[in-house]
Amino acid sequence: MTQPYYDLDVRPVLRDGGEPFSLIMQAVSALAPGQSLRLFATFKPLPLFQVLGARGFDASAREIGNGDWEVIFTPSGAAAEAEQRTAMADQSGDAWPAPVDELDNRDLEPPEPMVKTLEGVEALQPGQTIAALLPREPVFLFEELEARGHSWRGQMEPEGHFRVVIRAGNPQR
Amino acid sequence: MMGAALSRWTMAFFAAALVCLLGAQTMIVLGYGFPSTAVEDPQTLVLVHMVTIGWLSLLMCGALFQFVPVLVAQPLIGAQLVLPALICLVAGLASLLAGFLQLSGDLEIGIAFLPIAGVLLPMGFGLVVVVLGRTLLSGRPLPLPARFVAAGLACLVATASIGVLFASLLSGFAPAGHAVDWRGEALPLHVTAGFGGWLTLTAIGVSYRLLPMFMLSPDKERATGTTVLWSSCAALFLVLVAVPVERMLGGPGAAWHAACLAMLVAVVLYGVDLVFFYRHRKRRNIELNSRSAIGAFAALYLSVALLVALVATGTLGQNIAALVYLVAFGWLSGLGLSQLYKIVPFLTWLECYGPVMGRKPTPRVQDLVVEKRDMPWFALYFCGVLVGTAALLAGMPDLFRLAALATLCATVALVVEMVLVRRLFNVAIAARLPEGTARPRLFLSSSR
Repeated sequence: MTQPYYDLDVRPVLRDGGEPFSLIMQAVSALAPGQSLRLFATFKPLPLFQVLGARGFDASAREIGNGDWEVIFTPSGAAAEAEQRTAMADQSGDAWPAPVDELDNRDLEPPEPMVKTLEGVEALQPGQTIAALLPREPVFLFEELEARGHSWRGQMEPEGHFRVVIRAGNPQR
Repeated sequence: MMGAALSRWTMAFFAAALVCLLGAQTMIVLGYGFPSTAVEDPQTLVLVHMVTIGWLSLLMCGALFQFVPVLVAQPLIGAQLVLPALICLVAGLASLLAGFLQLSGDLEIGIAFLPIAGVLLPMGFGLVVVVLGRTLLSGRPLPLPARFVAAGLACLVATASIGVLFASLLSGFAPAGHAVDWRGEALPLHVTAGFGGWLTLTAIGVSYRLLPMFMLSPDKERATGTTVLWSSCAALFLVLVAVPVERMLGGPGAAWHAACLAMLVAVVLYGVDLVFFYRHRKRRNIELNSRSAIGAFAALYLSVALLVALVATGTLGQNIAALVYLVAFGWLSGLGLSQLYKIVPFLTWLECYGPVMGRKPTPRVQDLVVEKRDMPWFALYFCGVLVGTAALLAGMPDLFRLAALATLCATVALVVEMVLVRRLFNVAIAARLPEGTARPRLFLSSSR
């Protein structure tokens, strides 16, 4: 099971003209073994990548609007840990290919929405994507996708259902 | 946005809970405790706590360890504390029952069991509250069912705190205890916080998610659901805090009337939501868990009607046992058994077939049970509870025991069915274990 992020928002400090470096280092030393730091800043903190890289953290950054950035520093310790990270909800901004299919699994009784979605995923080539509409946030499906090394992006739609796009990872059985 | 794993110890909680339920029903059949002895007799206390802590609380805790992460889409925080919680609760319950047996003179060992229970049980429930509370905190903003669970956990703390007070009074550790009229003042609070708060609020919260999920009903949060939450919380606050304070200050009893009004608003609107879920379901043929749950909801509304009738006729005092029996065995146990009938197959299916899902044909969840065979048992169970309640009201102890025998038989049949579910007994042998699957263990779910 993955640990929740340690969240640190230094945007208020930066906006007030302050220097958040000591705050960040405090947060880093407060991390549990294997825990990641999620940092919110008003710019892409490139110097920090080097500082924390030297301490064994991998950084992945993405712009979250209004010029703000979300950076996740993951301890690059055990290989298993890293593998788990890549299989998690995909947070990177890179473009995915268009879904090869769009499944509507909203009106199926549980656990059929999950079964049909995974049947679709298993038919994909690595790197291909598939989209599925589900009656609610599919927490057990996420667990299964993670175990199988696939990544996903998803959100609740205003109509009350959940739309997930899944990209097939490298086959691992 | 995170996944939720199968809760490793949930089946062990369920198993311990069902053992306590069977034990309690057997005691009733054998004439142990009320009505053979008085309501406040230690024998009755053994029976009551076997049901409330052993059966209902362990059931609810086991279910919540699985359910809360699903509700808030966050992994369980502090999962390593779940087993210690189970051990503390089971050992604490055993000490509590032993302590009561010492009070009744049935057990003569020179160990002070009640104070031990007064430490172990709060520790066990404390661990439960810490794990579930932290998980809930990580999942804010909370969806409606999770807010019910949070309110239920707050009431669990209140119930357990009053329970600890009792344990120290009964074991003579609190010298100031004699100044408190514990039976008249504190006992109703303990009962209300336990049944009305901890058990009922969480049961309602769970039902708000499970019913729409398995009947494919719309489950957008509606104003009625939020009103149920706030009015039931208001009713509980009034009964637990405002009523005692008003009584101390010698007020006219306005808080009690306000509490009754708030409770009625809550139960009426909850009924509106229940009818909405059943009427707007997309799935025409509902499964046995949703059908048998109707018996539990009927028992809830009968309980409310009975409460109103007893209060109106001024006979609540002498008939409280019948009301508690209907709430505990009709509403809470009825809902518990009916939902176990779905949860156990569902979790077993997920544990066994999850790894090959989408890769190989698997049996359906429904294939793990034989509904036709089990429907009569649910009918027998609810009939038994109804007759038992009537027998208590009519003062017919032998009929009560006979009716309890009916519920015991029905429970045994349903427990056997759940063991068969864990063993995949009802799945055709050829389809039972496709390559890449393993037979689930009875009590300990495998984790991946």
